[in-house]
Amino acid sequence: MTNSDQIKIINDIINETRTKLKPLSFNLIFWGIFINIMSLIHYVFPAFIQQTYYSAGIYWIFLPMIGMIYMTRWNIKKYKEIGYSTTLGRAIKIIWGVFGFGWLMITLFSLYKGINPVPDILFLLGLVVVMTGMIIKFKPLTIGGMVIFVFIFKLNQNPDQNFLIVNMIGITLGLLIPGIMLSRMKTDE
Amino acid sequence: MNKELEKLLFNPIRLKILSFLFTVESASFKKLMEVSGATKGNISIQIKKLEDAGCIKIKKKFEGNYPLTSCFITSKGRKSFELFFISLKSYETNKTEK
Repeated sequence: MTNSDQIKIINDIINETRTKLKPLSFNLIFWGIFINIMSLIHYVFPAFIQQTYYSAGIYWIFLPMIGMIYMTRWNIKKYKEIGYSTTLGRAIKIIWGVFGFGWLMITLFSLYKGINPVPDILFLLGLVVVMTGMIIKFKPLTIGGMVIFVFIFKLNQNPDQNFLIVNMIGITLGLLIPGIMLSRMKTDE
Repeated sequence: MNKELEKLLFNPIRLKILSFLFTVESASFKKLMEVSGATKGNISIQIKKLEDAGCIKIKKKFEGNYPLTSCFITSKGRKSFELFFISLKSYETNKTEK
């Protein structure tokens, strides 16, 4: 094997290895649909969800936790299928892991203090979506995150707006649509 | 160039494995088979050699009854591979200039 052959092998391997982005798009679509359905149920049956002081909080903690467990298992299975992980992939995992933890903490504190968690969660979500979009260099996701910031600004200006509707629109524009666009991209890298 | 490393990476399978592990964080045994195009037995021998040279780390665990092997590049392996690649490149450049 000559030096040129060795350089060719190295270049081929490095050029062929990329972070797979399809699993990320499934995560975005899953959470986009999941949170929209939860918000819709809460919007349509407010009396049922808000039966007691804690019921809405339990609803917004317990169900997302089931979603997190399901997605963690799905991501582990996907990793096994792909057979490798990259530093970029790990960075994205950490960012979303921190978001999941932050989400639960905000919901718990809001429940304790008796305030609505939607603006804080949307703010955190906006940050994470912008960061992910910039890391993977996918503009629709970065723009989606910025759209979420616009909604938070609107919420602060008109606090009388229905938080659940704002949540649904924000999640659709910030997660669901960029997730679908990412899944439809021709390359998976 | 480090003669030992040069000898180690003269084997195309070991070179492919180390190049791949250089670009990713960790890889499964199955993936390394796919990347290198080698058989199970051959891969086992080659990754053992790379581990003995301190270039990679092998982590084994069981999931149910199935063994799962993952490989990672070590910082020594990363540094050596970078030096190896730079040396290869400079050697090639010098050859072309002559």
